[in-house]
Amino acid sequence: MIDYFALALGHGLMAIALLRLVMKPGLDEDPLIAAIKDETQENRKATSTAGRNAARRDRDDGGDNPVS
Amino acid sequence: MMDLVLLAFIGYILVLGLRRPFLWVLLYVYIDILAPQRIGFSVITSLPVSLIAFAAAFGGWLALDRKEGARFTFRQGLMAMLLLYCWWTTGHADFPLEAATKWDWVWKALLFAIFLPLTLTTRARIEGLALLLVLSVATIVIGTGLKTILGGGGYENLKFFVNDNSGIYESSTLATVAIGLVPLIWWLVRHGTIFRPHWLVTGFAIALTFACFLVPVGTEARTGLLCIAALAGLMLRYTKRRLLFIAGAGALGLAALPFLPQSYYQRMATIAAPDGDESASTRVAVWEWTIGYASKNPFGGGFDAYRSNRFEYTMPVKKTDGNTTSVEYREVVDEARAFHSSIFEMLGEQGWPGLIMWFALHIIGLVQMEILQRRWRNAEDEAERWIAPLAAALQMGAVIYLIGATFQGIAYQPVILMLVGLQTALHTYCRRIDSARGLLDRSTARRQAIGTKLRGAVAA
Repeated sequence: MIDYFALALGHGLMAIALLRLVMKPGLDEDPLIAAIKDETQENRKATSTAGRNAARRDRDDGGDNPVS
Repeated sequence: MMDLVLLAFIGYILVLGLRRPFLWVLLYVYIDILAPQRIGFSVITSLPVSLIAFAAAFGGWLALDRKEGARFTFRQGLMAMLLLYCWWTTGHADFPLEAATKWDWVWKALLFAIFLPLTLTTRARIEGLALLLVLSVATIVIGTGLKTILGGGGYENLKFFVNDNSGIYESSTLATVAIGLVPLIWWLVRHGTIFRPHWLVTGFAIALTFACFLVPVGTEARTGLLCIAALAGLMLRYTKRRLLFIAGAGALGLAALPFLPQSYYQRMATIAAPDGDESASTRVAVWEWTIGYASKNPFGGGFDAYRSNRFEYTMPVKKTDGNTTSVEYREVVDEARAFHSSIFEMLGEQGWPGLIMWFALHIIGLVQMEILQRRWRNAEDEAERWIAPLAAALQMGAVIYLIGATFQGIAYQPVILMLVGLQTALHTYCRRIDSARGLLDRSTARRQAIGTKLRGAVAA
């Protein structure tokens, strides 16, 4: 009886935990590291010649050509 | 019925893994710890569930995972070296048949421990593994705790789901692992994101911790008592009011005394007086034998090398007849006594090179966890403040294991190797954050420098 109770409780909790884990957005890509990398990428884009040119074109066009 | 439920659970994880293949790694962890194929009676016993889970975990990672941030670290290299070395000693073993039997599960445990950190590349995955480890062990611990309270305990009396003294279903091993996981339970309570901080989570953790403390009581494993003492000592470091903690722990210990069975006192008394107990006195004899054996075989005798030992010694045997107790000294002959210590297990089986590799593996882990604690202890942000406490919990777990391992041959215990994997993954993860931050700082500085230059040019 005790064994059944312990098995049911343990497996029940594991089932819920795994379901929540599957739904978790940061499971395959870490949000913190991704955010740092994105910021670095943005800085690089801004400092590269192509990036600066794109930003200048954007200013000259009056904002019609958004930098992507 | 039981088989169907267990199979349904395995099927459930397999299906969930179709969306996130990482779950197959957790499936293997669950099967390796709880051994559902040995809990069941019919269908499940004939299915190679462990093999299926390993194939799914490895195949899923190889074919479907992003593998971003997967690094092969020095500690994984050490385990790989140990694995190769064990393979070599198995080929030259004193007892080839027995050695092959042990090799059969050791290589799997080591290989999985080498593989595991490669999959643990995000915070959610690290937490997922920690939670599954705790819940798998909790399933056994809850049953053990309840049986102890309801009076089913006793040395070699307490029944687990599986009663063949294998893996974690051995009383001293379970006691060590259960106590070693207590800091991890409380880390999950405070920093969990799968089960967020909630009174229900705290309530469950209190009950589970109590059950963990009951394992050494219920199984009357002496090593467990040492592990509890070690945990209390380690907790002192993280307690602000130390005197209050010592007084509280003392009071709690005293309050527990009347509830302990008489047999427990008798068994614990043999810690201080090992002469009267065969299990304890042969331990010392085996250890002395191992040192002698290693001086003749410095490269070890392969798995189960202890089988060649033989001792003769006199042991006092107490006999109570009415009111008189007489002590009689009897000649005892012991053969093929197990090492009863991971240190001597490594020394005897793998010789000095194996022992050095095993020690290096664990000592480097302790040092790395210490460095991580110091480096991240002032982190305030939600995304980072979980790191230092996790490093502390893993370090405490490792110290408790090393203390328990001094008195048991559990050098290749899979749960402990999974904790090693978790430590390695945490260390790699933190290094990745640091390196990404380094790149960010450099790019920010460059952006600012260019910005200043441009403004200067415009002004000129």
